[in-house]
Amino acid sequence: MALHEDELRKLINCIVTSHQDDCLDCESCGQQLDCLAELVAQGRSLDDLMPEVTTHLCCCRDCFEEFEALVAILRAEQGGQLDISG
Amino acid sequence: MIERTNEQWLSDLTGPPEVQAPALEDLRQRLQRGIFYYLSRERSDLSHLATHELNHMAEDLAQDATLRVIANLDSFRGDSRFTTWATKIAVRLAISDLRRARYKDFSLDGLTAEGDTLPATSDALASNHSPNPEHATERSDVMLKIDRALDEALTERQRQALTAVALQDVPLEIVAERMGTNRNALYKLLHDARRKLRQHLEAQGLSTDYMLKLFED
Ligand SMILES: [Zn+2]
Repeated sequence: MALHEDELRKLINCIVTSHQDDCLDCESCGQQLDCLAELVAQGRSLDDLMPEVTTHLCCCRDCFEEFEALVAILRAEQGGQLDISG
Repeated sequence: MIERTNEQWLSDLTGPPEVQAPALEDLRQRLQRGIFYYLSRERSDLSHLATHELNHMAEDLAQDATLRVIANLDSFRGDSRFTTWATKIAVRLAISDLRRARYKDFSLDGLTAEGDTLPATSDALASNHSPNPEHATERSDVMLKIDRALDEALTERQRQALTAVALQDVPLEIVAERMGTNRNALYKLLHDARRKLRQHLEAQGLSTDYMLKLFED
């Protein structure tokens, strides 16, 4: 299989972000996502909270996308922006 | 809409019909507003859709999400507000649907087909803007080694998964479905693949720091 240079960069980055064995999988990450999202939406820093979840979010685009979406909705709710449908 | 505590949500949603029905409707509306916000404000890929189309999508998703929340009430542990937990379920459902729609034609077969990528060396040289020829040679040499490592260090399944997820940015969920596995198992498989690749390259003297430096823009 032959790689393009930009693919190679992605691959190297992906190897670099690989981490230790004792980290969370998607399921355990997902269980803590609501709690974490509330804290982050309140302004807490992701790095100070649950470092294993943070590590997983750095390596897993799927979980990260869901986390970001949840935080965005919670922030909008706090800011009174959720009544704008229609 | 009444504000409920977690306990009130749980008791209302499992209560007699006259209590349950309004609670269900409150939940559904709440999820719909959250989903609509996400679709309309956070998804630039949906910006071509009209408001009524987004509303319709949000309505359908909120309906499904409400059913899913009710079916999973037992698993609510009270670590967050009930509505946050329910929104998490709705978000996963919405994002899953969007992923499936976007990648409906994606197939793993294309990833291993011969001749669908350019030859590594000529490509490396062609796209190599480094003014230093020694540097260029070093880069193509490392590219070949990485290319070979993919073949030597990984199983076919690992290579397929890594190619799709890390190189083509396909969501894990989609790749897992195509591979007949689930996202959790795929995550573990990818984790092993990355580790093996890293070890294989390090054994040849290619540290990740060195490679990052070599290929930075
Ligand atoms: Zn994950």
